[in-house]
Amino acid sequence: MRAFLLRRALHAVFVLWGVVTAVFFLVRLTGDPTPFLVDQSATQQEIAEARHTLGLDRALHVQYLEFLLAVPRGDFGTSIREKRPAMGMVLEHLWPATVELAAAALVISTVLAIPLGVASATHKNGAVDHVSRLASLFLQSMPSFWLGLMLILLFAVELGGLLPAFGSGSVRHLILPAVTLAAAPLAQNVRLIRSGMLEVLQQDYVRTARAKGLAERLVIYRHALRNAAIPVITVTGLSLGFMLSGAVIIETVFSWPGMGRLIVQAVPGRDFPVIQAGVFVFALIFVGLNLLVDLLYTVADPRVRLT
Amino acid sequence: MARWTRSLLVPMILAWPLAATAQPRTAAEPPRVVDGVAIDPDAELIVALADDTNNMDPRIGMGSIRSNYIRQVFESLVDVDARGRPVPGLALGWKPVTELTWEFTLRRGVTFHDGEPFNADTVLFNLDRFFRRNLDRWSIKDVLAATSFEKTYPFVARWERVDDYTVRIHTSEPAPTLWDFIGREPMVPKAYTIKNGVDGLNERPVGTGPWKMVEWKRKTSMLFERHDAYWGTAPLFRKMRFQTIPEGAARIAALRAGQVGLIEGVPPFDAPALAQDSKLKVASSPQKLACRLYVNGRPKDKYDSGGKDGLFADQRVRLALNLAVNKDAIVKKIFNGYAQANSSPVASVSYGYAPQEPYPYDPARARALLAEAGWRDGNPLTLQLLFPAKHYGQSFDEMTPAVAEMLKDVGVQVTVRPVDFATLLQTTTKGTLPPNGAFTACRTGNNLDADDYLHDWAAIALINWVPYPPELMTLYTATRREVDPPKRLRLLADLQRQVRDWAPVVALYQEVKVYAHSARVLRFTPLPELNMDFRGVAVKK
Repeated sequence: MRAFLLRRALHAVFVLWGVVTAVFFLVRLTGDPTPFLVDQSATQQEIAEARHTLGLDRALHVQYLEFLLAVPRGDFGTSIREKRPAMGMVLEHLWPATVELAAAALVISTVLAIPLGVASATHKNGAVDHVSRLASLFLQSMPSFWLGLMLILLFAVELGGLLPAFGSGSVRHLILPAVTLAAAPLAQNVRLIRSGMLEVLQQDYVRTARAKGLAERLVIYRHALRNAAIPVITVTGLSLGFMLSGAVIIETVFSWPGMGRLIVQAVPGRDFPVIQAGVFVFALIFVGLNLLVDLLYTVADPRVRLT
Repeated sequence: MARWTRSLLVPMILAWPLAATAQPRTAAEPPRVVDGVAIDPDAELIVALADDTNNMDPRIGMGSIRSNYIRQVFESLVDVDARGRPVPGLALGWKPVTELTWEFTLRRGVTFHDGEPFNADTVLFNLDRFFRRNLDRWSIKDVLAATSFEKTYPFVARWERVDDYTVRIHTSEPAPTLWDFIGREPMVPKAYTIKNGVDGLNERPVGTGPWKMVEWKRKTSMLFERHDAYWGTAPLFRKMRFQTIPEGAARIAALRAGQVGLIEGVPPFDAPALAQDSKLKVASSPQKLACRLYVNGRPKDKYDSGGKDGLFADQRVRLALNLAVNKDAIVKKIFNGYAQANSSPVASVSYGYAPQEPYPYDPARARALLAEAGWRDGNPLTLQLLFPAKHYGQSFDEMTPAVAEMLKDVGVQVTVRPVDFATLLQTTTKGTLPPNGAFTACRTGNNLDADDYLHDWAAIALINWVPYPPELMTLYTATRREVDPPKRLRLLADLQRQVRDWAPVVALYQEVKVYAHSARVLRFTPLPELNMDFRGVAVKK
């Protein structure tokens, strides 16, 4: 286990180096941010002076080396647009807003998916199965901005302000964006659990468990679900990564102060330090989640060994 | 000299009666009834805006979003009324005392939110910051500013304190618009800025304005509290929150749900439906946002040309393009009437604006002009149109392809190239627009004078792709030198007429901004400026 963790840590360092290097050069391919910072009537000379102030007129390899040396200190520079430390800006959007929203959506999408997926599999082609499959299809097909706006119209406007239309800071504020964000992964998980359960329920060990006289609930939840859930762990790990990094549409519709919109706004604004800090944090999240998923495999399936 | 000085006293004299109504307030109780309606003096008004500001220090930038936040807290020497006319702000009056000297008489009894007095020293300190002088002496760092005063207005030579409430600014040449370019800049406190640095000023701004900023959650909201010691007409409610709601439909939903009291940027086709709701009101005002089709008419030595002059140097071609575009149809069909066709190069709400004869929609005449310029069926005019999609909003994005189709109708071969705004900026900055290049874009400004628009073609800059010919440059220079207001207004009108005929751009539309608010919000009047003004606004009980 220790060797495994050490190897994964080394992999993580290489992955993160690759990501920060790629993003450093890619953002510079998009062009020069200085025209944003000067007046429309600015002359070439004024633009050149602005570039000098930002240090963008130095050789690219000099900029890169400085950047690379600063990364281990968590120093991604100062936001070109907001004149504040870029990593601080990313972290203040990550916590609590983004983490809160992703955690709530994760809970909704997994806690609801398990009974729905199991019920759908154990009542194959029954009414529950049909309703569950239809609902899954609907939730996966709906664009999140449309679903979000419909939920706002229903709960905030038509039902007399039952839930707030925007903002953050309380559980009431969290419900609509979390439900919207959870909709697609919930549907995906229901379908995964259903198909996994249908496959597992045909296995010999399930038949054996039943033959031993175990209660059906124990057979399903202790023996079958544990195996059927393995693909769900992988998908949930990836979904959580996307929830943490890319809930841009939901953040826009519900004015949720998360990290996704911060980064997406930084791209057209060519705010290089914020983009670099944001992508680094995204990469860190994905690397961490992948490691977590691998560790969870050993819990879910004792046959899996980490070497 | 006497005649000249007397004539320039006009703005000053005009300023006095307005100033008289705005003397320092005594600690009177705020009214509880407005227009016969009981109001809630402790109410909090939530205003939904499409975006947050990046900065609160006015020196860093005063773009269309930022101004809205900054001008709630900071004030300028020159204020504006609901029609966009200059009125006394922190200065009671301004006048030229010689051909090369302007004098500002400051308002007495004004304090910043932290109690620091506003006086001549404040103005001198701000002038030092504008022109990047004495920053070491004040121990404050420079900021990367949107406007380089020392380069844009190099003729401003020095400034001096005459007494505690009088400041003189000396120039090396006549500067008739000095009241505007200095007067409209927000004033920051001297002692506070020196003590807290410009970062402190940016994060925890302290101004003289009607609102004190008490909380700023970046990208989310900014909370203001009424400045009870405000010198003028204060807002008649206690708190105001600027809430960022980027999505237009979500802003409307929040207003309908009663969770916000006022929204900006109402999509034109939603406005009539909102106006029919008895609980809501819709208000609109022309803005200074002028949207244009810029075409490359630069001579080959003024851009990265590959040895070719811009294809649109010929006035007949540019006029043809203007005649080919049906502006009324754009205003009606795309903006639902919430835009204006304006053939003057100056925004209709600017000081010195002179209305001009509209360009008629005349495709036949457009074709004839193109043929006259040598562009016929066998040799069609080509136009490579850069289109900054997803930057100016949905209506703009619908407008550009419509314009392209109208140009195709008169035989121009148009290629539309959607680009992100940053790419467009970079192209215009580096001067790499192709000879047959063009782009659609909008420009706005914080200043009141027509010069803000007319200097667009005076020097090679981002948006100047058809520089003034010598005769227009001479006329423009005359407007920059003439200090007698009536004479200058005549010159400005003449220049606008000639620019209209010379047609450096295809004038597409001028924006009309639409707001909607709860019927509980009383006396809200949108300004033709970039910011909203809540002074005198009340919230019904």
